[in-house]
Amino acid sequence: MAVHESDICIIGGGITSAMLALKLSELRPRASIVVVEAGRSIFDAQNRGRYRERAIHYGEHPWHDDYIEDQQGKGTISMTMAVGGLALHWGGACNRFSEEDLRLKSMYGLAVDWPIEWKELERYYCEAERRLHVAGEPSPYPGDGRSEPYPQPPIPLSYNLQILKQWAETSGLKFNSLPMARNMTPFDGRGACCVYDTCGEVCPSGARYSPDFTFRQLVQPKKITLHDRTLVRRLTLDAAKPAVVSAQGFRQDGPSGDDGAIEYRAKTFVIASGYCWSSHLLLLSSNSRFPNGLANGSGLVGRHMNGHKFIGATATIDAETFPGQNMTHSLISREYFRCRTDRPFVRHDTRVWESSSGREPRLRSPEGRLLLGDEVMTDWRSRTRGSAVRLRAYYDIHPSTDSRLTLDAANRNRHGDPMPKIEHQLDAASQAREGATAEHIRGVFNTLAKASNGRVGNTNTGDYLDHPGGGCRMGTDPATSVCDSFGRTHDHENLFIVGAPTTPTGGCTNGTLTFVALTLRSAEEIAGAHGR
Amino acid sequence: MRRRSLLQWMASLAAVLPLERVRLFAQPRELTPEAIRFMHELAPTVLPASIGSARIRQTVEQFVAWTRGYQEGVALAHGYGHPRLQKSGATPVPLYLAQLAALESEARAKGASWSALDLDTRRALLDSSIAKTNVRNLPQRPSGQHVVVDLMATYFRSSEANDDCYRALIGRETCRTISVTLVRPGPKG
Repeated sequence: MAVHESDICIIGGGITSAMLALKLSELRPRASIVVVEAGRSIFDAQNRGRYRERAIHYGEHPWHDDYIEDQQGKGTISMTMAVGGLALHWGGACNRFSEEDLRLKSMYGLAVDWPIEWKELERYYCEAERRLHVAGEPSPYPGDGRSEPYPQPPIPLSYNLQILKQWAETSGLKFNSLPMARNMTPFDGRGACCVYDTCGEVCPSGARYSPDFTFRQLVQPKKITLHDRTLVRRLTLDAAKPAVVSAQGFRQDGPSGDDGAIEYRAKTFVIASGYCWSSHLLLLSSNSRFPNGLANGSGLVGRHMNGHKFIGATATIDAETFPGQNMTHSLISREYFRCRTDRPFVRHDTRVWESSSGREPRLRSPEGRLLLGDEVMTDWRSRTRGSAVRLRAYYDIHPSTDSRLTLDAANRNRHGDPMPKIEHQLDAASQAREGATAEHIRGVFNTLAKASNGRVGNTNTGDYLDHPGGGCRMGTDPATSVCDSFGRTHDHENLFIVGAPTTPTGGCTNGTLTFVALTLRSAEEIAGAHGR
Repeated sequence: MRRRSLLQWMASLAAVLPLERVRLFAQPRELTPEAIRFMHELAPTVLPASIGSARIRQTVEQFVAWTRGYQEGVALAHGYGHPRLQKSGATPVPLYLAQLAALESEARAKGASWSALDLDTRRALLDSSIAKTNVRNLPQRPSGQHVVVDLMATYFRSSEANDDCYRALIGRETCRTISVTLVRPGPKG
């Protein structure tokens, strides 16, 4: 069996792994760092324009072979397993949570408090924004104060969004340009935004940050070692003490004759495998001393799986816009990030996009007559008066202890390992207020629409939790949490977990920036364990 | 004895051959010149006359190029939220050829070439042909279900058609500097 030794072994190759590897390589340039990722590297940035064309014209997935067919869980939000992870094709939204997210218990008697002070997390938000080169503007709400300006000015509002901002603010809510990890000018080896408008799929210029760029920058000068196409299947412990001594893996590209088995030995192990595969690996690593899995003295590994729910709608308004200017950029209002403690609890963000919903060319008239040639165009034009507006609110819900990731014995990979199964469950308080929350959000949408004689059309409620996290929640008490605020597991001093799995609750806006900020904070603790 | 061995060998070969793949391999993968000619004849009926004959011709050529660029068995976008692995199916060319041949033959049965038929008759023939499929609306891009609907989607789902509709230079999904998007789009045509 091949053996690879390093100071720090990072398991997983997504955005938190990239940020962790980058910061550790700066803080501890002499430390040997290996990143092990089950999926492949997709470093052919030069082909992304072509892949995008194929995606538009043929519906093809622009990230070829970014998944492993037999390494799929149930209840996951994406099949992607590749170097870069889900952030290969994220939209780039970089919203911060707010202080309320960290103080749910003490302010509202809900869920739990996070074991970290807002002021401290805020410092790491600033660092995350610098590293991701976020374009943004300060929130108009005083509660959203910042200690540093954004590294880039905001993405300028398209003509359409200028019109929509004017409309939306008539309601009394304040909106600003969504902060995004999108280069306005070339930066760090990546191009400037050309408004390809496919940020959530593939960005040919590289303007929208994706972790593959960071990994390439780290691998080429040998600041880290990257082993892709290598699945870590188990962690093993020292015989005498509860320290992790190795990660047992299988590499798909081993030398011929090799059985593919590989062992990683390191002083410190960091699981940076996201909301699903982090808990999964800990549960898979059970042994006679830890029959419920590693780091699971509390019995909470794979529990409190979180995220946020969402309600979307399309409104029609009188103002005229021209769909297609910059459909992936949007406005955000943080009006309802804060909730008075003497009012029913409801927290959500409010987002506004240009839209062409209901204004697409169609094949038949409402009476069913086949439309041909100019008839299609005439019919289409007749429906373009005014505008459609896309609205969405991510709202705060909290997981019950039974919101779980379990090992699914009925679904196994080629090695016979059970795959994960995620079943989200809301706690009783979240369930009890669901109706009132939905009513409140629909009320906000209606108030927005009325500002321009508009009306809200289709409303839809998401049937999955977005920006999922949890499974290894942080806390100060080993009986009620898996790791401390740095991600160090309570049960194994040389085992860390970073990013999404450590979050106790999922907030009410995009989570990626928070996952990165927490990881950058963990990086300092991990570096501290390795001296200078 | 030899003959029996040969028969046995052929039988065992038939059992192991991926016959479906062989059948698909035998299918035409390119539109024939006759089919392309007929599409050029048919296109002015289904594409807007207002875009002019040159762009109508270009749209047919673009669609023919689309059929040539089609790749089978390629992973399609697997989605977000409820991901699912899907792959592109067999080339739609054989279906397209059959649909075009049927339309042309039905036109002849009416005693005229396609372009000599009145619009109501052409509409009825297209309606009947499309009704044989599951197509209910213009797909986001050619979907391989009906040749005429896919030809229409080639134009109507394009950035150019969006500009034509709004009579404005929006340039949806085209590479452009962000400053272009900050002002009301200029008029088109």
